[in-house]
Amino acid sequence: MNERVIPWQPTVIAGPKQAMLVTPETAKMMLKKSKRPLFVIGPLVEGDPIMKLTMEIADHWNLPIATTGNVYKIFKERGVETTPYGIVEIVNLLKDPDWNGVNGDGQHDLVMFIGCIYYIASQGLSTLKHFAPHLKTLTICKFFHSNADASFPNMNDDEWLKYLEKMKYD
Amino acid sequence: MAPKDFKEDFWKSKDIKISIGEITQDEVGEETQETVQMGPTPKPHVTDLREWDMKLMERYEPFYAPFCDMCCLCTYGKCDLTAGKKGACGIDIKAQQARMVLLACCIGAAAHSAHARHLLEYLIEKRGEDFPIDLGMNIDIEAPIIRTLIGKAPKKLGDLREAMDYMEEQNLHLLSACHTGQEGSNIDFESKALHAGLMDNLGKEIGDIAQIVALNMPKGDEDAPLVEMGVGTVDRDKPVVLCIGHNVSSGAGVIDYVEDEGLEDNVEVCGICCAAIDITRYNQHAKVIGPISKQLKFIRSGVADVIVVDEQCIRTDVLEEAKKNQCKVIATTDKMCLGLPNLTDEDADKIVAQLINNQIEGALILDPDKVGEVATKVAMQIADDRGMLKLLPDMDEIQKMAKECTECGWCTRVCPNSIPMMEAVMGASEGDFSKMEELYDNDVCYTCGRCEQECERDIPIMSIMAKIGENKLKEQRFNIRAGRGPIQDVEIRKVGAPIVLGDLPGVIAFVGCTNYPEGAQDVAKMAEEFLERNYIVVTSGCGAMTIGEYRDDEGKTLYEKYSGDFDAKGLVNVGSCVSNAHIPGACIKIANIFAKKPLEGNFEEISDYILNRVGACGVAWGAYSQKAAAIATGVNRWGIPVVLGPHGTKYRRLYLGRTDKEETWQLNDMRTGNVVNGEPAPEHLLYAAETREEATVAIAKLCIRPNDTSKGRQLKLNHYIDLHKKYFGDIPEDVYKFVRVEKDIPITYKKDVKDILEEKGWEPRQLIQEPSIRDFKEKKKSSGK
Repeated sequence: MNERVIPWQPTVIAGPKQAMLVTPETAKMMLKKSKRPLFVIGPLVEGDPIMKLTMEIADHWNLPIATTGNVYKIFKERGVETTPYGIVEIVNLLKDPDWNGVNGDGQHDLVMFIGCIYYIASQGLSTLKHFAPHLKTLTICKFFHSNADASFPNMNDDEWLKYLEKMKYD
Repeated sequence: MAPKDFKEDFWKSKDIKISIGEITQDEVGEETQETVQMGPTPKPHVTDLREWDMKLMERYEPFYAPFCDMCCLCTYGKCDLTAGKKGACGIDIKAQQARMVLLACCIGAAAHSAHARHLLEYLIEKRGEDFPIDLGMNIDIEAPIIRTLIGKAPKKLGDLREAMDYMEEQNLHLLSACHTGQEGSNIDFESKALHAGLMDNLGKEIGDIAQIVALNMPKGDEDAPLVEMGVGTVDRDKPVVLCIGHNVSSGAGVIDYVEDEGLEDNVEVCGICCAAIDITRYNQHAKVIGPISKQLKFIRSGVADVIVVDEQCIRTDVLEEAKKNQCKVIATTDKMCLGLPNLTDEDADKIVAQLINNQIEGALILDPDKVGEVATKVAMQIADDRGMLKLLPDMDEIQKMAKECTECGWCTRVCPNSIPMMEAVMGASEGDFSKMEELYDNDVCYTCGRCEQECERDIPIMSIMAKIGENKLKEQRFNIRAGRGPIQDVEIRKVGAPIVLGDLPGVIAFVGCTNYPEGAQDVAKMAEEFLERNYIVVTSGCGAMTIGEYRDDEGKTLYEKYSGDFDAKGLVNVGSCVSNAHIPGACIKIANIFAKKPLEGNFEEISDYILNRVGACGVAWGAYSQKAAAIATGVNRWGIPVVLGPHGTKYRRLYLGRTDKEETWQLNDMRTGNVVNGEPAPEHLLYAAETREEATVAIAKLCIRPNDTSKGRQLKLNHYIDLHKKYFGDIPEDVYKFVRVEKDIPITYKKDVKDILEEKGWEPRQLIQEPSIRDFKEKKKSSGK
């Protein structure tokens, strides 16, 4: 099996439905197609260059940001407004088709994740896989997430940084 | 005259809610008559508390995170339940998750309760069924869970059998519901899981009360002694007997033999996991190695000459591991026999001879006294010969082993926490052991050994870890306050009012196992944070040991720094896993002693009281086991919220509230008869946090209750805001939801909070006098049987 699409923690494999491996080009297509995307940023994004890249990606695609864990604080210190949620709280809201979204504009149709702790993210993605048919999930971590609809592959840091650089532009 | 023996379903079949004049017989045989006001649900069956469960779940809807998309429990399967598909039996993914939760809770409840049953029968055999249940002068409400569920107080050891029989019957019904083609609703699976959790709480109370009274453990003693703890406390030059598990009987057998033979100065008796806590409650000369996270490290160190295993949370490869350094294993219960010959009826000296001559790898001995004799004699006879085996590979050898690393990285990938093990091994290969030390310290690596299993070069990573940790042996000396057991009635009288009115900001219980996301220190840091803020901190089991392994800036452990009082700034170690029962027990006693709520058969009223008035919150930061699932689910049913660490999402189900659904927070004011708009307090019933910082803020918020006075609400909001500012950098935006009237606003943050209130268009709300989620008129209970 292609090592790039074995889940980073291999035992999170849950069943036959596996994520589609995507490149930055496909990920950007998904963002372009989305009407109400959301960017969920977790506590592993705590320093540059990743933090700077995530801010630039959010800015370019005009993405509202939900921060999980306590990463809200360092984004605030960098002047970036985000909405803090526990990861289980935001997933719980995302699975409800009637929720009005982070900005009150309606439920999101695409949720892009980065920097959440791998196994809790995997659990959250499992929730959305089963109970949120109204939205797609995309992960741009350096780890393959089999429970997402679409995921970057397992990568080393250099390759990942190049992927993220590409996400800053159309 | 003996008490009249009503049929078990008498109360339900007659739908009688109050019984007056139950005849009981006191311990000296004189006939007395006690007036017992019996509530509606004595010995509740699976379905009797279903309405309460539904009320909880209306507000705290189950949140599922499937750990597996399939069901593989019957031969129809495997069935793929992804995205709306049903299995061959018709089950859907929600019901399947809830079914697995029920199964986990049944396993957990069975583990605690089978342990309790074994202890109970063993202690009855030792002390007699008429041995009195006497917890001393300061504890009259000695079994609050039994009183509430069974409807009567146990007076003698033999009385505990009635509660045990009831629990076992209930667990059987619950387990049967897991069979294919039984329950089909996730909500009803949940109700059953809540019942299984409740049965778990009951089983634990039976077990701990039995051992406290029969083995003369501390009886609610706030000044219980400090006992030594840590890998560095064991004298490696002496014969060492290590007890692992949870059942004190075999460890007590070892201690008794050592004492009877006057060998206290010649033999080291130590323990890992709850067995350690309970043997030190029995005898303070025993030593605590530490929580479950120490298991493989310590076994690999070769220090133990004999390992005595009883039940629960023991490595199932303990025999294989022990054989590596010629350590002997004695299995002592039916739960874990390890394929060893049953020598219970054999002469002790013959068993000793067979073990030291290597005729057998170990022995199954089901008699605790014989375990004590055999374990001690074997340890004393083989310790000298094992001297060299107590030494792990030297540092040069470690470096050589580490050089085998191919940098494939799979050690890190299979690690539950993805810790940088490969970097640590690579460092060791170059003679730099600092990275490995960082993983050893605070149990960042809790030595599950998955990395070693995966290593393509068979590098003994755990042995390397154990050896490098030995460099810091002198630092591995801590202490823990011996488990005190229940909370005294007099303490409840003192703090009941401040807790219910909110003047005391909360009671926080750190319990559970050591599946920590980033090491053990996080638990101690959380405990320290809340101790400094005047909360009551309660702890038990591995959580209690973890807290003892931390030293503050002055080098003191938290047990040295804080008293064992159940009061503000008190750090209360109740004891082992089964002692957890005293934590909901304390909340129940607040309802009974402070608010005069009758307990007998009155579960719903008591739980409703706790949910709305007692600012308690459980924290199981490293919960891993089915027992922990049952514990949390049980206390949830009593109305106590619990915060789990990130691994807790693998339990598949949380109970989450929705603050945006205001109608779910409405409360019934039992005094005025009005329906009142409430606040999301507590906001969640079972929550998993991703980081310690997030958890700390969540814990403070989850101590808020509708019954808080304005003074109490100010205090609680002050801590919530303080902690939010500390860890999130600003005032929490949702603070307006918890401000009912202006008097609730903390003075320190008045302006900031007022700005938020204005921005949110806040209006003052009616204060509630007797908050409840129960109906105004109590509905007729179904008999359920």
